[in-house]
This record gives sequence, structure tokens and C-alpha cells, in this order.
Amino acid sequence: MSFIKEYRVSLPHFRISDKVLSPRGRKGQYAICYTDEDIITLAFQACEKIKSDIDAILFATTSPVFKDRYHSSYLADLLGLKEGILALDLGATSRAGTDAIVLADRLLKSGSNENILIVAAEVYYPAIGNETRTAFGHGAVAMVLSNNEGIAEITKAKTYSSAMSEEFIYKGEKTQYDSRFARTKGFKNNLAMVLKSEELNCKSINKIYLNSPYAKIGFGQLKKAGFELESQLGTDEVGKILGHTGSAHGLMTLINSIEKNKGTSLLLDYHNGTNLIEVESKGSDQSSFSSKASEITHYQDYLTLRKKGKFTARGYKSVETFSSEMISERDKEMLFRLTGNKCQSCGTIYFMKASRCNACKSDQFLQVQLSKSGTVYSVTSEYYFPNSFAPTNMVVIDLVEGGRVTVQQTDDMYPSESNVIRIGDKVQLVFRKMMENDKKPNYFWKCIKQ
Amino acid sequence: MHKTMSKKRDIAIIGLGVTKFGELFNQSYDDLVRESALQATKDAGIGLDEVQAGWLSTAFPEIGVFKGRSGMDMVEPLNLYGIPVTRVSNFCASGADAVRNAANALAAGECDVAMALGVEKLRDRSPQDSIVKMMVELSHPYYQKGFTAAGTFAIYAKRIMHEFGVTREDIANISVKNHYHGSLNDKAHHRMTCSTEQVLGSPMVADPLTVMDSCPTTDGAACVIMVRAEDVDKTKHKPVYIDGIGLSVSTGWDLPFFDPKHDFLSFQATKDAAAMAYKQAGIIKPIDEIDLVEVHDCFSIVELLTYEDLGLCKQGEAKDLIRGEATQLGGEIPVNVSGGLLSCGHPVGATGVRMVVEIATQLRGDSGGRQVKGAKKGISHNIGGPGAIASVIVLNKEH
Repeated sequence: MSFIKEYRVSLPHFRISDKVLSPRGRKGQYAICYTDEDIITLAFQACEKIKSDIDAILFATTSPVFKDRYHSSYLADLLGLKEGILALDLGATSRAGTDAIVLADRLLKSGSNENILIVAAEVYYPAIGNETRTAFGHGAVAMVLSNNEGIAEITKAKTYSSAMSEEFIYKGEKTQYDSRFARTKGFKNNLAMVLKSEELNCKSINKIYLNSPYAKIGFGQLKKAGFELESQLGTDEVGKILGHTGSAHGLMTLINSIEKNKGTSLLLDYHNGTNLIEVESKGSDQSSFSSKASEITHYQDYLTLRKKGKFTARGYKSVETFSSEMISERDKEMLFRLTGNKCQSCGTIYFMKASRCNACKSDQFLQVQLSKSGTVYSVTSEYYFPNSFAPTNMVVIDLVEGGRVTVQQTDDMYPSESNVIRIGDKVQLVFRKMMENDKKPNYFWKCIKQ
Repeated sequence: MHKTMSKKRDIAIIGLGVTKFGELFNQSYDDLVRESALQATKDAGIGLDEVQAGWLSTAFPEIGVFKGRSGMDMVEPLNLYGIPVTRVSNFCASGADAVRNAANALAAGECDVAMALGVEKLRDRSPQDSIVKMMVELSHPYYQKGFTAAGTFAIYAKRIMHEFGVTREDIANISVKNHYHGSLNDKAHHRMTCSTEQVLGSPMVADPLTVMDSCPTTDGAACVIMVRAEDVDKTKHKPVYIDGIGLSVSTGWDLPFFDPKHDFLSFQATKDAAAMAYKQAGIIKPIDEIDLVEVHDCFSIVELLTYEDLGLCKQGEAKDLIRGEATQLGGEIPVNVSGGLLSCGHPVGATGVRMVVEIATQLRGDSGGRQVKGAKKGISHNIGGPGAIASVIVLNKEH
């Protein structure tokens, strides 16, 4: 038996609506990252509050930032998970998220693992001008599957793979099937196979979700299989708020269902085959999809975001960034895990390593975990710092349980009364990427107003 | 202070040289070395070959024209081969540190005639190649969070305004005062007066500091010839004596921003360097004993803070000095009569030496329209890095 023990969803702060993206846009909206976010920062943010003692990590994405490096091990390292644990990346299709559930379920049943962290993160950008015709939406999910009791039990986790896919990429070149052929031979046949093989007890299922762009052409089959569509078919509520979040979408659909419905939910997550996930929810008091968001109100602003970290500012023609893996590895405890050094004699806490305490000259330090919230000691707005939008705000923060850090405020092209930081304000540290310019960025902390 | 070096070095400055400061597009690094060195040796009444050792201060060869990486770059343009010359690099205190090293060598007897020369050629490249860009491109991830030089000091300004009731106008008036002084100095980069409104209304660099709160990017060089006091020949020299030199590295690059006890209200480095220099010079109450001061006003807020750190007033009272016009020419203690860095500009390696030349010229009574009447003792002060390194030099007309 496997259970969903805990989960977190992390969503970017911005939404963009169809209407901004196209004059003929409909009423949809998409969650969209800011220039200082990517799948790593979203995934990190989702995992930050996970409490379980993790012994395996599965990372699902179809928009990788690394070509030949495991996102799972990189994230495990950032999070400070146990060294050498099972870490795998999944990512051929947008059902990679539920692939991870299928795999985790089997690992748990085999007894080889106890707490498996599934992470799905997606930051996919459609071609410029093609946004309203492409499914996209940014976000990440962290979910711990465990043998122990949990928020919901996974009662089924199966895969019915199929060779048919509407369009796919072969050696970098797009290959197309006839779409009608792919839908009938692919989606319809695959769904028929699932429904035939499973012998589902339709009455016992509270909600069924069909996660596919062609969902509509499958409704007839669901009806034939015995479902009452009006009461049992779940609508894509996540999609209405976030767009289609790729490999994270299936997991988000499950989470939304667990939060909204007690009882059994069935997800058919289709893409080049179907993952069938059935969960039995006891209900959850979390509400993962109601976070406040800011609207990107102009297409021009969206285009600026799409530069994805090409940082320019007054006086800077270009800035090449420097990211040393040697430094990042050596200083990861400090950089990523916010480990500070507490003077054993006078108790002053330093973010940086020092051979002696600056206050009392003692040379005995104890490593301590710094807090991620604090109060602003001083702040300035830099108008000539290379960044996407001037100004870049620099904030000196006294952390709640001691220690001081100086970090940037998160990038924001819409300065307003609600996000202007002043001396004395309460702020929160958040994990972000520093400037990138198409090279591997440095990840570090920034702050947001609480 | 147990760390204070209390021994006074009995040194005299006998030759002064300083080029025009500004956008010197017609002069090379080598031209600036030559001009300042020849002025200084001529002023001292000696030939170049009488110089027995040299200290060259250039802080940023890599953002300039890659000149000044070693003492060689002073020797070559002067054809002064065969003597020891060392490059000194200590951020904005580099120039003052060249003077300090020359004084030490004279005191130790390594040489009898020493040259301290500061030069920086910044305008052969466009200003976009800034220190911030280097920080972002070449350093540790947490440096990428950034800070321009202006931002570093803006953090102090914000906190001081919060704690001590210093107003935006008080800070701007430092710039107004120094620009007035600069209008009297024919060697200054900017020679114009300005109003408080103009300072406040100029483009923002790092809140609350505007472009006119910031010093310009400037070329320039300055040079002094120094000997031991006993070797002064009063028949041909117009000597000025060094009563005290203090230099202290009191914080690091990171420490202020990550040390919970750092209050962003003063520069410990200035306090430490001043304590050393004052002890050597026997100064107890600087406001009564000193006639004029050159302080490192790279940004206007730095001058305001330095009033307190040099002990010209108590903490929190600097604003009263500027409000009462005490630091203006004709006031109780004129500060930056040269126009300061705000008017003269800041060729980093040259600045400290230029300030020594400025004070020495004043003590000689040769400053013309900006002469501080009856000036007998003066201080020059530099601060470098994010307030990390400071130098204080006390000069005296009398021996």
C-alpha cells in the first residue's frame, strides 16, 4: 500500500491572460515565471517545507534546464537530502509526473524505499505568437509517497503505454502524424484498452479526470463504460487557473481532487499512453491553488520576460555571468541551505564562515540553521545595477533567530505600494536564480515582503 | 588601543605635483605619470635621478588601460631605471598608502629621497566596464547579489536618515558645498556651482543618492617628493611635515553585509586610522586643533559620516555641521576646499596623493582663491572598499 503522505505546490507569482497574449484571446490564463525563476527554483520552493525523511527522489519535467545532468540529484544536493539516495529523472512526455507515481508505488511495494519524494516542475515557453494555441503554464509539485498512513491512499497506479502520439520530435525535428489518425488510433484506442482492461467499478468512483487535450472525444467511451458524466466527470479546475502545467499537471489535478473531494478519484493521464492513478482521499485542509497572483498586463512586458535573463540596464551593453560549480559545491551549506555559524561564546550568528568572532574574538563556532524570515535593517534601490528592470532593490535583513543577510528583492516589473520594502518591514527569503544570460545561473536567496 | 602605532615618522614633504583632473583624452597614463612627477621634482628643486625609491599607486589597472600592475609602470615613462619601485593597491586608500610606504622607507633608512605617485587612467575605456560588472562576471555567487559603489553607501545613508534625522537636503548640501569649492579650483574635473534642488533633481543612482551625490569617473595623477625632516634644506624647500599616518583595514568586503552587529552608522576603519594618526600627532580635540580637512567624499553621504568618525563632532551631530556651514570655506573647519572627489573626480589611485598635495599647498599658503587663512594643520582622509579600509594623514606646517 502506498500513501500520499504530504505535498506542496509552488506557483510563480504572475499570471498572464489569453487576452494579453492575443487580441483574439479567449478567457484562459497561464501561470508564468518571472526572470529569476526556473524549474529548479520552483521545485526547490515546493520541496522546502517537506518534512519526511526522504530516501528516493524522482524528478519529472519536459522542460529541463540541464541536458546531461540529473535534476533529481542536483535538487537533492540543494535540499541537503541524504547522499547517494536513489535519484532519477523522468521526462519523455507530460505524463512524466504520474510516471513517477507509478514507479514510486512499485518501489514502495517492493519494500526498497520508505519515503519517496516526487517532484514535477514545468517552465515551458511556447513559440512567440503561438501562445494561445499552445498548452503552457508554469509551476511545480512536490509529493511524498510513503508506506505509512497519509492524506490519501493510492489504490491503483498503472501504465497503459501506446506508440501513437499526435506529434513528436525525432532527433530535433518535429515529426507529424495525421492528427485524426493519432487521435483515433492513439487516444481513443488507448482509452478503450484502459477501460476494457480495468473493469472499473464506476459507482465507487467519486470523480474521474481525463487529462488529455482530446478529452472530449473520450467522453462517449466513459459514458459507455458506465460513468455518469454530469456528476462524476471532474473538470480541469487547475487548468483554468494555471494553464496546462505539463508534467506537473496530472499531479496538480490529483492534489486538487484530494483537496476538494473525499472518497475515490480516478485520473487518466494521457500522453502517448495512459497512466491510471486512483486515490482514496480522507480530505485535506490545504488549499494549494488559491495563492494570490499578479497579472502581467502588457504584451511588451511578457516579451521582456521571454528574454529569460538577458540582463541589460543603463550603461551595460552585456554582462557575462560567472557560475563556478566548484564554489557552489564547496559552499553549498551556506549558499543553499542557509547554514550559519554561531559564536559559542557570545552567541553572535554569522552567515559567513570566520576564523574568529568579530564581536568577542572567540574561535569556537557551532553550525546553526538560519531562519528564512526577518526584519529589514536597511535598503536601497540600485538604478545602475545590471538587471531586467531598474531599480534592483538591495535589502539588509536581520533574521528572526539571529544572523544577517544582504540580498536582492525578487525582480518585479510592477513596483507598487504593496511590494515596496522599507526599513522595519518583515520579509521572507525565497530561493531564486541570479542573472543568467543563457549560462548556468547561480542560485541564491532573494527576499519578498511578507 | 593596543594596536595603535604610536611612533611618529619624522618626515617632510618637499615636492608637490598634480595634473588637471578630468576627462584627459589627450593624455595617456604615461603622460600623467610624467607630468605629475616632473612637477613634483621641479617643486622640490631636485632632478629625477635624485629619487632613490618610488611607490606607485594605481588601484584598478584592469578597469583602466592595464597600466599600473607593478612599479614598472612608473619607472618606464620616467626612464628611472635601477631603483626599487613598488605598486601599492589598497582600493581608494591606495594613494595614501603609497605616501605611508614612502614615509616608512625613509624612516627605516632604505632611501633618502622618496617619490609617492598616484595615477589612474579610467577614461580610455567607456565607463560601462564597472566594478559591479566585474563582481557579477568574476566572483562568488553571493557577490552577484550586487551593489554598485553608490549602493554600498546608500545603505548607510538610508539607515542614518532613519536613526539620526538626517534629511535628504543635508546630504545634498554636502554636494552643493563641495561643488562651490570646486568652482574655485582650476584643477578640478567639474567647475560649476549647483543648488540643492539640482542635486535632488538629478537622476537617481541608488536611493537616496543621485548622480550629483556621486563623484565622476576621472583621469588624473598626483605626486609628492618626501625626505626625512632632518634633510630639509629651508633655503630651497617649502616643507610640510607629516605628524601622523594611520591606515586600518577594519571590515571586509562581505562582513558589513552579513555581520548582525554592524550598524551602518559609521566607518570603523576611519575611527581606527584616525586613532593611530591622532596619537602620533598628539591630537586630542581635532575640531580645535585642525584648520582644514580633505575627506573622501566619493558620495556625499560619506563626507557626512566622516565628520563623526574623524571626531569633528559627536555621533548624530554631523548634520549640524553642514546646516551651520561650519565645513564651508570661511567656516570653523573647512572640509574639502579643493572641491573634494565630487568636483575633482576620483582617479582612484591618484586621489589620496592629490589630497595630500591639496593640504600641503594650503599649509604653504599657496591656494589662491580657496586659501584657508592661517592654515597650520590639516588632515587628509580616504576610505576604500565598502568602508573597509581607511587612511588618515595629519600634516603640519611647523616641524
